[in-house]
Amino acid sequence: MNIQIDFTLNGRAVSIDAPAHVTLLRLLRDYLNLTGTKEGCAIGECGACSVLLDGRVVNSCLVLAPQVSGRDVMTVEGLAPVEGAMSDLQAAFVKYGAVQCGYCTPGLVIAGEALLRDNHFPTRDEINDGIAGNLCRCTGYQQIVDAIEQTARQRAAAQVKE
Amino acid sequence: MLRHTTNWVTKPANRVDGPDKANGAAKYAGDYRVPGQLVTRALRSPIPHARITRLDTSAALKVPGVLAVITSDDFVDHGRFGFPVADNFILAYQKVRYVGEGVAIVAAVDADAAEAGVNAIELDLEQLPVIEDMEQALRPDAPVIPDVVTEGSKKGQPNVCLTQIVRNGDPEPIIAASPVQLDQTYATPFQEHAYLEPEAVLSIPNPDGSVIIYACDQSPFNNRGIAAAVLGLPEDKVRVIQAIVGGSFGGKDEGVYQMSAQTAKLALLTNRPVGMVFSREESIIVSYKRDASKIRVRLGADKDGKLQAAKVEAWLDGGAYSAETVLTAWRAAMHLAGAYTYQAVTGDVHVLYTNNNYSSAFRGFGNTEAVACIEQAIDEVAEQVALDPIDMRLKNIIGKGDRTMTGATLNQEVGLRACLEWVRQKSDWDRKRREFPAQNKNARYRKGIGVACYFHGMGLGGEGVDFANATIAIERDNSVTLTNGLTDYGTGARTVFTLIAADVLGARPERIKVLLTDTETAINSGPTVASRASVVGGNATRVAAEKIAQLLTFAAANLFKCAPAQVLRDKEAFIGPDEEPVDFDTVVNHARQLGYVLSAHGRWQLPVIHWDFEKGTGTPYVGYTFGAQIVEVTVHTGTGRVQADRIWAAHDIGKVLFPEGAYGQLYGGITQGLGYGLMEEVEINHGYIHNVNFDDYIIPTAMDVPPIEATFVEAPFHLGPYGAKNVAEPSMLGVAPALANAVYHATGKRIRELPLTPERVLLGHALHNDDHGDNSRLWLGYADGLRKVRITQAA
Repeated sequence: MNIQIDFTLNGRAVSIDAPAHVTLLRLLRDYLNLTGTKEGCAIGECGACSVLLDGRVVNSCLVLAPQVSGRDVMTVEGLAPVEGAMSDLQAAFVKYGAVQCGYCTPGLVIAGEALLRDNHFPTRDEINDGIAGNLCRCTGYQQIVDAIEQTARQRAAAQVKE
Repeated sequence: MLRHTTNWVTKPANRVDGPDKANGAAKYAGDYRVPGQLVTRALRSPIPHARITRLDTSAALKVPGVLAVITSDDFVDHGRFGFPVADNFILAYQKVRYVGEGVAIVAAVDADAAEAGVNAIELDLEQLPVIEDMEQALRPDAPVIPDVVTEGSKKGQPNVCLTQIVRNGDPEPIIAASPVQLDQTYATPFQEHAYLEPEAVLSIPNPDGSVIIYACDQSPFNNRGIAAAVLGLPEDKVRVIQAIVGGSFGGKDEGVYQMSAQTAKLALLTNRPVGMVFSREESIIVSYKRDASKIRVRLGADKDGKLQAAKVEAWLDGGAYSAETVLTAWRAAMHLAGAYTYQAVTGDVHVLYTNNNYSSAFRGFGNTEAVACIEQAIDEVAEQVALDPIDMRLKNIIGKGDRTMTGATLNQEVGLRACLEWVRQKSDWDRKRREFPAQNKNARYRKGIGVACYFHGMGLGGEGVDFANATIAIERDNSVTLTNGLTDYGTGARTVFTLIAADVLGARPERIKVLLTDTETAINSGPTVASRASVVGGNATRVAAEKIAQLLTFAAANLFKCAPAQVLRDKEAFIGPDEEPVDFDTVVNHARQLGYVLSAHGRWQLPVIHWDFEKGTGTPYVGYTFGAQIVEVTVHTGTGRVQADRIWAAHDIGKVLFPEGAYGQLYGGITQGLGYGLMEEVEINHGYIHNVNFDDYIIPTAMDVPPIEATFVEAPFHLGPYGAKNVAEPSMLGVAPALANAVYHATGKRIRELPLTPERVLLGHALHNDDHGDNSRLWLGYADGLRKVRITQAA
């Protein structure tokens, strides 16, 4: 049975017909062709499918698509100020070597963004805690923590200037 | 004339594929969506060992939406493949030998139709006795698993695929005469690669009967060779394009080649694009693992701890198909006794068939298993002679001019001593080794610190001819296009090639684009394995770039009206003797006006060495990488839980070309080693894998990885580009045994079986669940009882 789902996706209003039982992850990838959000386990363990739902990080594989009706969804594609560019955090991921195979990267960027919105000055331990729901098999996490930590500093410095 | 200043190599740099991966634009094989694309579902074996007595797919073809069904009959020679031993099939032929082995594949317009098609296939299986472990495989009455004649067949042990040997003198009498002796057996587990991207391929048919395969494979040329052979097509009718690969670690060879051939066949039959994407459960159940091993180490030493001789024998559980375990075993044999000098060493590594999934390549490729065991044994000998473990190692490690354990003379700079000294000093080793044992014996938490070191042979060595091809072209807009036959599955190889080309050409990295490896544009360079991309692929890139750089120098000399030797470079500027410098574009445009062809091909090959596999003697590798790692742990004595508190790592990888990439490889390898040492074990009971997703197969999270303090000792390597060696595999080697040695230091318990789970630390043995395949059957589609698979006992 198809159902019409209206929600805000990366700042734009979206209206889409999809079967009621599909997950938000499948909705994004198969119905909206936004393939930046990845499937790694489909049981909420790996975090590769992380998106922001009303500003909070969720595993989109565990959210049914109709649940996002009327709500705000942000994916990795929506973080940059201009489409195809990079946000400060995304650029820091590249600069600090936090990207290797890249498959976990969209989810980790989302988790890092959610963390930084909640906590402007996270310690390294708090960052480790904040990304503990996201598995990465390539990097050993050190440079991911570097990227998030440095972005927090840059944002703080930018605020001081303003 | 060519200068070797480094404008870009060795300096901070961004990964070339970083931005697309960070903003979600990068396309992996499972991200492609093309019109008319079909989906697939597989009928897989629900039991570990059986004869296929009937397989009828006719009813499946009548299911609405199903367009094609394939079995082994659809391939040349039933889809037989495998190197070095051709014992595997694209789909099971006559027998199934492990749970999850593919029997038939259905292509349909959507998943529901494909699933209905699978449920319509009729399969009769006659159960055969199951070989659950290596002991059973060696029994005289054991059922024979492979359908090829093995080396062991001659000795009445047909389930012994082969034995790889080292013969360097006769250690027996020396060990017997040694005042200090050790004879212990160690065990290592099956390990899952756990790349975050489950396997995916997409095949697209062309009107001329050829096919394009987009695959998450490690080695596209090997993939093409196998696909062409089993499809009965000439190689030029099969084009393999490597998509962006979401991690591999050795894990995306044979299994992805099967998927590639399967989808290619279905695409050709249906004339529609066919995609295949694994779920995580399918990935873990179906894909190969790191072999489990048992390794018996016998060592002899004198009273001062000077090692005299080693006799090491290892058994690798290769599972149902030999795959690359034959080569894993060879590399294991070359490293069994560690980075030490001995008077005599023999090594024997047996590859066994069982019904436990199957094993193949995984980071470290046999040396991971070898180091895990020998480095515990060395600590056990050190204790017997009351030597500090680092002093023990410093007394025995190989140096330039020494004979390695295989008997070959080491003819290169060796940074191993410097690595050991660095980790010793940085970790405050001597104080901690002294103070930790003085902790209260009854304390709930006890601390310990342990060390391990290693050597790791570079490149393919005696496994094959080690070469690579690169091409380079300056395009009309003065951008630069590179290809390389060696690939980047997340390692950063494309970035290393870019930096080398930039440096040699004197062209900004931003001008350079490295194409994804495509069998139609790149030149065959053999498999991308054995951490050889930087050295062999890097040198091929250098050779190609040098050819163009020479032409540009000639063009600049012509412009300046001076001799080529008078042309100097500073980044993109060309500087003549008198006039103002001119820029890259001016020189390139002038070169074109002179009629120069600004494209080139570079090929580079490591010196050919010889290993005699029959005799077990020769030179296994052209050179080695070295390293030492220390782990500090806290053990909870009430639960047996081990926490890694801190890790120190020093690695001699030659000149570091791309520092962020090298450190990333190092941290990532250390983390995989941490998983191997503490928590990762594919539990196979009665042939069934129990832990089929990340809720049960636990890999380290950010909370599990302690601070890592690391350095690179850059002992120059004469054959490497700029003196570089390799890093990908060696980075994980020392962690697991260092953990075991640290746990012993903390608790006095020597646990000779990895991983160091709380049960092993607390009780001394693992606790096994009694899963008889419920997880596997569920995820293979057998839970709802709709499959038409009939299982009978053999008469």
